[in-house]
Amino acid sequence: MDIKTIEHLCNLSKLNYTDEGKQKVMAEMSEIINLMDTVKEFDVVYDDTKDNNSISYAEVREDKAKPSFPTEKLLSNTKPSDNCYVVPKMVD
Amino acid sequence: MNLKEQTLDTLRGLLDTKKISAPELCGEYIKRIKEINPEVLGYITVTEDEAMKSAEQAQKLIDSGEAKPLTGIPLAIKDNICTDGIKTTCASKMLEDFVPPYDACVIEKLKAEGYVILGKTSMDEFAMGGSTQTSTFAKTKNPYDLTRVPGGSSGGSAAVVSAGIAPAALGSDTGGSIRQPSSFCGVTGIKPTYGRVSRYGLIAFASSLDQIGPIANSARDCGTLLNVIAGKDSRDATSSTKPAEDFNAKIGQSIEGMKIALPKEFYSDSTDDEVKTSVLAAAKKYEEMGAQLVDCSISSLKYAVAAYYLVSSAEAASNLSRFDGIKYGLRGEGRTFDEMIRDSRTRGFGDEVKRRILLGNYALSSGYYDAYYLKALALKQQIIKEYDEVFQKADIILTPTAPTVAYKIGEQETDPVKMYLADICTVTVNIASLPAISTTCGYSANNMPIGMSLIGRKFDEATLIQAADAFEAGFEKRPNNI
Amino acid sequence: MKLYPTIGLEIHAELLTESKVFCTCSAQFGGEPNSRCCPVCSGLPGTLPVLNRKAVEYIIKAGYIMNCEISRFTKWDRKNYFYPDLPKAYQISQMPRPVCLGGHVDIVSEGEEKTIRINRIHLEEDAGKLVHDDTERVSLADYNRCGIPLIEIVTEPDFHSAADVVAFFEKIRLMLQYAGVCDGKLEQGSMRCDVNISLAEKGSDKLGTRTEVKNLNSTRAIQRAIEYEIYRQTELIENGERVIQETLHFNDATGETSSLRSKEDAHDYRYFPDPDIPPIVFTEEELEAIRADIPEMPQARRERYINEYKISPADAAVLTDTKQISDFFEDTIKVYNNPKPIATFIVVELMRRINLGELDMDNMPFTAADFARLIELAETGKISKDNRKVILREMADSGKSPDTVADEQDLWIKEDNELLEKTVNDVLAANPKAVEQYRSGETKVFGFLMGQCNKILRGAASPAAVKEMLEAKLKGI
Repeated sequence: MDIKTIEHLCNLSKLNYTDEGKQKVMAEMSEIINLMDTVKEFDVVYDDTKDNNSISYAEVREDKAKPSFPTEKLLSNTKPSDNCYVVPKMVD
Repeated sequence: MNLKEQTLDTLRGLLDTKKISAPELCGEYIKRIKEINPEVLGYITVTEDEAMKSAEQAQKLIDSGEAKPLTGIPLAIKDNICTDGIKTTCASKMLEDFVPPYDACVIEKLKAEGYVILGKTSMDEFAMGGSTQTSTFAKTKNPYDLTRVPGGSSGGSAAVVSAGIAPAALGSDTGGSIRQPSSFCGVTGIKPTYGRVSRYGLIAFASSLDQIGPIANSARDCGTLLNVIAGKDSRDATSSTKPAEDFNAKIGQSIEGMKIALPKEFYSDSTDDEVKTSVLAAAKKYEEMGAQLVDCSISSLKYAVAAYYLVSSAEAASNLSRFDGIKYGLRGEGRTFDEMIRDSRTRGFGDEVKRRILLGNYALSSGYYDAYYLKALALKQQIIKEYDEVFQKADIILTPTAPTVAYKIGEQETDPVKMYLADICTVTVNIASLPAISTTCGYSANNMPIGMSLIGRKFDEATLIQAADAFEAGFEKRPNNI
Repeated sequence: MKLYPTIGLEIHAELLTESKVFCTCSAQFGGEPNSRCCPVCSGLPGTLPVLNRKAVEYIIKAGYIMNCEISRFTKWDRKNYFYPDLPKAYQISQMPRPVCLGGHVDIVSEGEEKTIRINRIHLEEDAGKLVHDDTERVSLADYNRCGIPLIEIVTEPDFHSAADVVAFFEKIRLMLQYAGVCDGKLEQGSMRCDVNISLAEKGSDKLGTRTEVKNLNSTRAIQRAIEYEIYRQTELIENGERVIQETLHFNDATGETSSLRSKEDAHDYRYFPDPDIPPIVFTEEELEAIRADIPEMPQARRERYINEYKISPADAAVLTDTKQISDFFEDTIKVYNNPKPIATFIVVELMRRINLGELDMDNMPFTAADFARLIELAETGKISKDNRKVILREMADSGKSPDTVADEQDLWIKEDNELLEKTVNDVLAANPKAVEQYRSGETKVFGFLMGQCNKILRGAASPAAVKEMLEAKLKGI
């Protein structure tokens, strides 16, 4: 776990750290990754067809539209404009 | 009226025989909450108005003879379960002002019963933790010793039941979050089989592991609640089509001949002696009741914590990506979209949540995916296989719920690795999608509750409730002094 | 040095389901902002996706018509990236286990038959729409389109010209329409195409650096973008410069491509199986039932028209090149089983009205039954062939039935000899000079006299009857 990896993870996670915070979290993450590394001892390959959680085609939801949700209620946790969510201008 | 250790059966009886009205009962709880909660800090939000209103409606149902098992029964709800019109914060600054516009499936079911919502209980932020000390709004205390943690993440739900400021509560369990706080607070909690209860409206932590379940004063009360909240929901594709059943149906049946397995890895040196002794004494009790103890092994347990943290953090990193400040939640500042969402997330999430997100993205990122994430999924298959083998020769499995009793606030919850390792006894149950119940089996020298867990076959909650009830019937609980 | 383009495509097609792919909101196009949304497709915390069976059926149909292998085990993955049109910050898509693998489609491009291999087709959800507000320096997000089911068709790099691509795109667009899987409405963004292009010396087995032009939503844009990109890359290479691997945007106004800023700077989508959506296992019977339900494809229909109905290959092509026209034809012959004149009248007259913009196939003012009746009236001599057009125009304007129009405008052919005789007499009396000419052997004036009679009769008598009466009178005089 080096500073470059931490910075990459922060980019993927959309999180900011101060330089000091970065050092601290890097130390913590190193220890955590050490613990995670124990799985590497285990020598088995994952087979996704053996998860036993699949369903049959017939169990999949029928295609029936239902009335949508009231727009105002849906947007009640933000300050909308023209019934839209507002974001900083996206450059195309 | 004494509200401590009240069972739902007793309250049902009091309400049905008109010894007390639903609004009166609700008022008693609200009164006690006002007294006790400032000390225990179990609730983030107390919904007094909502409670009184629903209590009055419930009384009408009772008066007209239409009462159902939970009509007029006050309950507390973990603050990661969405309640229409009531703040649902996940104990996070991110969702400090979030008011869901819809009810979780379990809330719809409770409302259909005419339940009374007392409030929303505290938890570790986004259910990530085992101490409830990562809660932004209410760092809950253990009612047995206010200097100790209540466990977590459903620490609020366990503490309010233990402190008698709710007769029962809903929690959620991703890696032990119902069972471990139940153990720490001396109450009973069940993590149902994955898919037994709809997750619709449960703010997701790790979708393949999360499950809502009850925390109460007895196994029977857990069954009563589970009877209401279980069942297929068309809005949760992972909810099971297994027909609903009466989870209390086997209560009172003899456990003679029941095979109880004790996997040796759960009784290793990493578990406190006091805990081991107490759980093994419980095993002995079962033997006396006619059960047969079976030795067994879950040899991949040593990888379980890592596998659990890899899978759950990977899912969490993705699940928590939607918190960007645009649609809901803390809205950061910034000239660009990127700046704005980084600010929202940096200010909205606490340290532990951030670590999990970083870990999850690490496990999923290119170059690491096979070594960590896929390996964890392979381990999941292995753990399932080992449990299957145990259930070939046993009906239930008995383990400690946690390696220790509740520890002092500030003692270990600041050390992530130490905290993760403490989940060793509970995480495999979630990994293997199994049901498990935790109930009190003893007390430590310093009078802290010790919990044991019974793990069952998939969809065999009824046997767990039967066995836990059989133990509870002969066990004398020591109430706390709150 | 001759540079040779190699092109691969990723085509997104929206599926014609009633509800969205992971929730029960309507999947219709448009609507007031955020009016076709619910907690699920708006990404509210606690909500869960529930897969739509019809979307699965449709992608399987798409797979079969492109000769793909259908996976017996399929599952869904999350593609993680932050963008304001993606409320969950992940798109549900498919990575290692797509529904369809390895197919092929035969095309004819510039007179040559070619086979285009399909790499895979997978099912995913569409994202929302952003509107940019320049005055406020903000963008506005509308999630109505979030969760519309999409299939992504990924081809092998088997194209070598814009014409190849256009031929393929048009062919699968038509096939998807016929299968009832996608409406193919390009103006509504129902099909969008990403194009990967690289240039290399012909015969060289080394491919050049490729660029990707994103989101082309018309055949013309696809053609122009490819041609421009071939030109641009050729210029670069011939000037000794390097082509940079990048994602490009095609500007319809300038006809040029320009670099697009990437959605996620890190470009690591961290795909992993979506734990909310159980994988699906299909039985052979289920797949067979879906395959059997696929409607007739355009090629088969065209051949049937030529072989069974004896329609000319050119007319059969016109009829089948638009599904709605072909369906209208099918509906018409169900009511009046006389394919040839119906085909001709559709190709000649109905298509003309449509091309003139007087008729819109999406909003036909009359039914196929009325249209059938119109042809039947003409074929059975109840109205004149010319009046068929007059009536069609009125049907297009008012939606009235052909019988009503014929009544109102008095366009029936009448077996009225008195009227016919009187008209012919009047015309002959009014045109003594023409009669004189006819008599002296200038028989071509006969047509003029016929015209004069028809002008007055306005279809009230059949052309044969007019001709007979006129000939008789001219000879008799």
